Amino acid sequence: MASDLTLGLMELSAVREMTNIGLGHATTALSQMTGKAFNMSVPDVESVALEQIPDLLGGGEARATGIYMPIEGDVSGHIAFLMNWESTLSLWRMLLGDAPWDPSQITEMEASALLEIGNIVNASFLNALSEMTGLSMHATPPYLAIEMSGAILDAIVVEACYSEHYALSIRTSITDYEGSMEGFFLYIPSVGGLRTIFKTLGIAEAA
Amino acid sequence: MPAVGSAVLVGMADIQVIKGSGQLSCLGLGSCIGLCGLDPIANVAGMVHVMLPQAFQNKGEAKPGKFADTGVPALIAEMLKAGADRGRLRFAMAGGAQVFKFSANTESKLDIGARNAQAVQEVIRSLGLRIIAHDTGGSVGRTVSFTTETGIYTVKTVTSGETTLCNLRA
Repeated sequence: MASDLTLGLMELSAVREMTNIGLGHATTALSQMTGKAFNMSVPDVESVALEQIPDLLGGGEARATGIYMPIEGDVSGHIAFLMNWESTLSLWRMLLGDAPWDPSQITEMEASALLEIGNIVNASFLNALSEMTGLSMHATPPYLAIEMSGAILDAIVVEACYSEHYALSIRTSITDYEGSMEGFFLYIPSVGGLRTIFKTLGIAEAA
Repeated sequence: MPAVGSAVLVGMADIQVIKGSGQLSCLGLGSCIGLCGLDPIANVAGMVHVMLPQAFQNKGEAKPGKFADTGVPALIAEMLKAGADRGRLRFAMAGGAQVFKFSANTESKLDIGARNAQAVQEVIRSLGLRIIAHDTGGSVGRTVSFTTETGIYTVKTVTSGETTLCNLRA
């Protein structure tokens, strides 16, 4: 049915391969901005009910940072880059040489540095996907939250479930070699968008 | 069957009802709402984790708890089934935040949280019932917890820790 998503091995591996390349580009962009080398895990690709995402990602009560962008174009969807608070502090130090003492004292400068990172990282991912498929995927301006990790995921899922209630969740974690920073991506392509991708790649959807 | 004497996590779009002693919680609410109801005499408590204000017109939806307009009546129906009396029901809610408070895009706002809070409030009112206390809006994520024995509904945030919002037995 329209909202259900049954993916065969072929589709899953195509998605994994595609996102792996896209995330490689995103990780490179992050390395260039921070001057650090990052290690990226192979993406976990899961077909899940949206409501399960906060549990799957261990949505907890600790403070975290989430940069989220809705995606428009041929393949619409949602993309987010998330990291814990310690990593956020490290990232600020790498980018600005300093970090706020208190999360309530975040300056416009500090917020826009994170938004910009999210923008570039997520856009490199989408550009890579666009190039591979020839389909358009535009990131819209990013949103930033510094809150309980569970609440950030909750808000993303709510935005996504406006249009979908079942999706593909694609997660990858990245860490730098000193262990000072780690984060992960969450990519939720729309079901319709995924169908378009498979059609373009000439992969028939599993019955 | 309602769960008895346990700590129950209410996931997104879930409705959970317990009879007797126990605890109900929603972890990490962003724009979602954790609405809790209690009949203090029958000792029936219930919680729904609402995600959106209104059910979609054109899609079949398996989980009524997802939406305010279907979730609130479904919660009440479940509570009545477990032995609650409609006239004794009292409610508290929290959540409905806008956690994505920073944006380069000044025009569009992810303000679904405020609309969720308003929708739950309206549905409760239209049913002739009342929300005794609420903690909604702002930009903070919340974990909510309700303990049936004490009637205490607490809200936890990353900045201010755990605080009591109200006592549904008082």
